[in-house]
Amino acid sequence: MDKTAELLPGTLDMLILKAVSLKPLHGYGVLQRIRQISKDAIEIPQGSLYPALYRLERRDLITAEWGQSENNRRAKYYTLTAAGRRRLREETAGWNRLASAIAAALKTTREEV
Amino acid sequence: MFKGLRSIFHALIRRRDFEDGMSEELRFHIEQYTGELVRSGMSREKAARQVRMELGSSMNIKADCRKAFGVHFFDEFRRQLSYAARLLRKTPAFTATALLTLAVCFGANLTIFAVIDSVLLRPLPFPQPDRLMTIFNSYPKAAVDRDGSSVTNYYERRGHIPAFASLSIYRYGSEIVGDAGATERDPTMRVSPEFFSTLGLGPVMGRTFTDEETTSQTDDVAILSNPFWRERYGADPDVIGRQIRVNSVPRTVIGVLPSSFRFLSSDAQLFLPLASSAEDRLPSRRHSGGNVIQMIARLKPTATLAQAQSEIDAQNAALEVDDPQAKMIADAGFRSLVVPLRADHVAAVRPTLLLLEAGVLVLLLIGAVNLVNLLLIRASGRVKEVAVRQALGAGWRYLVSEVVVETTSLTFAGGLLGLAVGAGGINLLRGLGADRLPLGSQIAFDARLALLGLGAAIVMGIVFALPVAWYQLRRNPGNALQSESRGGTSGHGAQVLRHSFIVSQIALALMLLTGAGLLGLSLQRVMAVSPGFQSDHVLTGQILLPWADYSETGRMKFVESLMEKIGDLPGVLSAGVVNNVPFSGNIGKSAATVAGHVRRLGESARGHYSYGVAGDYFRAMGFSLVAGRFLTGDDSRGSERVCIVDEDFARYYWPHGSAIGQRLWDGSEAGKDAEAFTIVGVVGGVKQAGLTQNEAQGAIYYPYMFRIGDSVFVAVRTGVPPESFALTLQKVVRQIDANVPVSDIRSMDTRIADSLVARRSPALLAGVFSGIALLLTCIGTYGVLSYAVTQRRREIGVRIALGAQSRQIRTQFLSLSLRLLTAGTVLGLIGAWQAGRTMRGLLFQVPPLDVGVLATAACVTAAVCLTACLVPAQRAAQISPMKALADE
Repeated sequence: MDKTAELLPGTLDMLILKAVSLKPLHGYGVLQRIRQISKDAIEIPQGSLYPALYRLERRDLITAEWGQSENNRRAKYYTLTAAGRRRLREETAGWNRLASAIAAALKTTREEV
Repeated sequence: MFKGLRSIFHALIRRRDFEDGMSEELRFHIEQYTGELVRSGMSREKAARQVRMELGSSMNIKADCRKAFGVHFFDEFRRQLSYAARLLRKTPAFTATALLTLAVCFGANLTIFAVIDSVLLRPLPFPQPDRLMTIFNSYPKAAVDRDGSSVTNYYERRGHIPAFASLSIYRYGSEIVGDAGATERDPTMRVSPEFFSTLGLGPVMGRTFTDEETTSQTDDVAILSNPFWRERYGADPDVIGRQIRVNSVPRTVIGVLPSSFRFLSSDAQLFLPLASSAEDRLPSRRHSGGNVIQMIARLKPTATLAQAQSEIDAQNAALEVDDPQAKMIADAGFRSLVVPLRADHVAAVRPTLLLLEAGVLVLLLIGAVNLVNLLLIRASGRVKEVAVRQALGAGWRYLVSEVVVETTSLTFAGGLLGLAVGAGGINLLRGLGADRLPLGSQIAFDARLALLGLGAAIVMGIVFALPVAWYQLRRNPGNALQSESRGGTSGHGAQVLRHSFIVSQIALALMLLTGAGLLGLSLQRVMAVSPGFQSDHVLTGQILLPWADYSETGRMKFVESLMEKIGDLPGVLSAGVVNNVPFSGNIGKSAATVAGHVRRLGESARGHYSYGVAGDYFRAMGFSLVAGRFLTGDDSRGSERVCIVDEDFARYYWPHGSAIGQRLWDGSEAGKDAEAFTIVGVVGGVKQAGLTQNEAQGAIYYPYMFRIGDSVFVAVRTGVPPESFALTLQKVVRQIDANVPVSDIRSMDTRIADSLVARRSPALLAGVFSGIALLLTCIGTYGVLSYAVTQRRREIGVRIALGAQSRQIRTQFLSLSLRLLTAGTVLGLIGAWQAGRTMRGLLFQVPPLDVGVLATAACVTAAVCLTACLVPAQRAAQISPMKALADE
């Protein structure tokens, strides 16, 4: 089996919000950060990253501002908004509930039925 | 959400920034990633290929981003807009017709609506304007429907009617303002102290009048209107306390009104206290209103109009108990009516304006029907194209929005043109006398109206799109490709729709034409009415004599010297003076008591037009003498109590005998024997109130010295065109007194013409509207018929090839148009009959169902429609079978 996990639908937005919540990032930075915090387990399809960022910006969950990159290039930095923080909290909680429920379901043994 | 919208908005206006940012961001990503791959040991080419593979095409990413950000709708809109523009450019005849139709229909509607808005809709510029009422005395059985209010009414009512928070009286006037040598005649209002508090809007500077300032000795104060303060005093902030001469008497300025202050249609520059004497306030003067003084009141927030009316009724009943004239007053049907101020002010013009609004809406409807028809015809040419696109995967949503964009951009452009037409139309209406309507001076083309027009244009575009979209998408593309292929006939449903539109257009145009015809005929009948005197070659002007400079004898002397000086001028045939000239707009009446006349049961004292005349007034105006003699200059100089009555008066009191030698008293009671006037002549009746005045009210002419008033009208019969005499008249008056201006100088013919403006302008407008309606119907009928011919070109070709005569083909199309015309005419006649009934009140000696007018209108409509059908029918008959079939 491949060591990178398939991205579940709807989880890309959540991961972007998480990545941006730690520190303002540019688009490429988001990609790196997700790779880093998932210990290279999750690979984002690069083509979907920017539409997702624009969608989140339009929904007012993140804001964008032009700034200087590490190597002194102009880059667009994304920051989490208050609404985005709230959304991230909700989605994290929802995800955790779902994940533990699925984990519990999968752990079920014959005796427990 | 709001921020999100704002960022879209920003992205839209700075579209290039948005695109550049997107490109830069992607470029940055590519460089970063490539750099990273190169650092990890990959060759530059391999890295670049790897990046392209993982990222995909940046064009696709950008499109996804635009969509995600929500700006793609606008791109789509732009695309559809340019597509629509291309389509419209491709059919210039259609586009021009549509735009012209829309421009004219919107323009006409905006113009009339501007008038309706100003006159009927916009609230008066006071707080809670709907609480403002007017109260007036009415004596319907004495033929005096409206007599204003008296000073007595005011003092009896104020503070005693619980439903009113405040109550006030006012009278319009005009005074000579300014120092000697620099005088000007300005419109003024005399008002009671509570006038401004009743309206809820008072001076911005200074104070209002006090109760102490309501007697003739203490009323030497004045409040200035804002424009007067700006023009005459240069907006001097220290104007309070300064002196201003009004009718040569100095008054102290005590206040300045705000610039927003405007009472109904008055353009009063000065407000003075309405002063009265103790006698004026006596109960015996209660019914002496004479329609000069008017009353307004403000309802308390909790009170209703009905409550106020019943309180006024109760008070009147209680007061009349002690009135020695109680019986006569009751016989006259006396009542004081409480009516909303605004509605009352515009009541006379409301029906005409509503009629015009209805007419202009019908015009809009005709235009709309016409356009939908033309759009449907146009759409039928595209059914196949749309079907192909549908088959290739175009969504119905996209196709519908494409139609909406096309029709809306058409109506929007038409709306913009309509704004220009409307602005011009409003100027034109001013020329037709719209600014003389009550509240008419506020008629303006403003931003509100423009927004309304454009909003309506957009709504109309969307409404137009519905039938067109339905027509294009109603069946599956496969069928459409077959049935509407060239050479086939059009679907039955669409044809019925087109034909019913033509029928309704004809019906509506016929209705409009009939309405215009009725108004025109009515105007013609009014103009045929004789005013009762020879109105040609008579110049009239009003002269206001200030009481401070002219006592009663002073006035007599002024009139005498005026007559003398004018009589000496070359070109003058005769000249006279009267205190109220016919068609002056003043229709106040007063009572007279005829010696020996015993009132029949239920008959009240009658109001008659009463005049004071001097000089050779009757000959100057060209009155006809029925019996006896005219009053002459000798009568006005002498002190003999003689008078002249008109034939209506004589017929009423002496239906069988002669009026000459009979005696009467001026007033509602018989006086002393020595005060009676002897009738020495009977003259023909004169229309005082206007040509349509039909009640025979009766008139009495006294020598001027017995009926001296504030102002006099001078009437001069000239041998030359009367207008050319105006300057001479002014010069003569100035020679007598340089401070007395002559105002309102108009020939009698002009006065009569001016009095007809309320009939002429609506008739003219209705005529213009129906002319446009006919033109639109003509275009519509022509369009549909020629489309039908084009559609059936092949069928006709085949039939001619098989031996059909071209006459038969022509007859076939003409009979189709005859059928449509007949249906339209029948519906139109029913509509015209209904329309005639609703406008009955506006017609003068014309029945609401005038056969002549109906027949003429039907013939004109028929002629126009048949002419429009003739060309396509002829073209059908001349189709060459070879060509028609070869075209396939």
